[in-house]
Amino acid sequence: MAKQMKFSVYRYNPDVDKKPYMQDYDIALEDEDQMLLDALIRIKQHDDTLSLRKSCREGVCGSDSMNINGKNGLACITKLSDLEQPVVLRPMPGLPVIRDLVVDMTQFFEHYNSVKPYLINNDPLPETERLQSPADRAKLDGMYECILCGACTTSCPSFWWNPDKFVGPAGLMQANRFIMDSRDQATEERLENLEDPYRLYRCHNIMNCVEVCPKKLNPNAAIANIKDLKIERAKESTDNKPVKKLFGIKVL
Amino acid sequence: MLIQLLTNKYPGMRLWLSQRLTAVVMAVYIVLLLVALLIIQPADYAAWHAFVSPIWFRLATLLFFMCLFMHAWLGVADVLKDYVFNKVLRAYLQMAVDVALMLYLFWIIYILWNV
Repeated sequence: MAKQMKFSVYRYNPDVDKKPYMQDYDIALEDEDQMLLDALIRIKQHDDTLSLRKSCREGVCGSDSMNINGKNGLACITKLSDLEQPVVLRPMPGLPVIRDLVVDMTQFFEHYNSVKPYLINNDPLPETERLQSPADRAKLDGMYECILCGACTTSCPSFWWNPDKFVGPAGLMQANRFIMDSRDQATEERLENLEDPYRLYRCHNIMNCVEVCPKKLNPNAAIANIKDLKIERAKESTDNKPVKKLFGIKVL
Repeated sequence: MLIQLLTNKYPGMRLWLSQRLTAVVMAVYIVLLLVALLIIQPADYAAWHAFVSPIWFRLATLLFFMCLFMHAWLGVADVLKDYVFNKVLRAYLQMAVDVALMLYLFWIIYILWNV
């Protein structure tokens, strides 16, 4: 049995359109159309000018992140039965639109690159691999699962306000992922890299990132952890230094 | 010690941590003030006068307001960083806030030492 479903989709082709507009679709869905991405592909069968990104269709690649009824998410793991009609689909906010639901994620990945999202270890390579205890490995849980879909960063008002300066929740969580990695030797540099009033400290705990993450991760906790670590490192560094005393009172 | 985090070496942490430290001072003051008021329960003008007159009360209250103004300064500076992107306009707004907070501070000192 075919089921009708209403959609309102953001359309913008900069070569042709002066302004973006919303286009309504009333589409007959088949029984196998369970997820929003299935419906979008169904729409594309009727109107192949609609542009969107997709790849793995199972919430692993992060290509089809978009703004669904006002909330960022992945089309491929959003159930059609959970959506109110008409389903309003827009590109992720805060990034330039290339066409329709496709956004330019250059800024997002520049921030990601800026935190050096790779292991820095100057020891000679071991014969097999760099080993890690299960406890140390467990510290990466909840962070390594990030698929860099950009849903969190583009729903963050701090990123909308300062997109060129604030690294954003996705980038900061990856920073924390490598800070927490027992095999990484650049913790100090990584913490210093985030030490200006913008890169890390524009986060005001708005929590949109936690709300929208399709992988149910918590970038806000990662950001808080970076701040905590900065304080802990400062305490440690003074523990090793001779204590300065002023009138017999420990001052530094 | 936390003091080194409040130096120029930590331009971001310094602002973030100052805002939290001033908040702690204010919270402690408010709790102490409420407890003191519950114990003493000043009923008339003379009792209130006796309550607010000691130097430690004036100094603690001054400290509270200094923290409040610093906290407010940091908060407004944050808001301006988020919303005002014209550097000149931001500087003027920041200056207006600075002047207002300084005037408030002098006003508070005037009030505290004139009761």
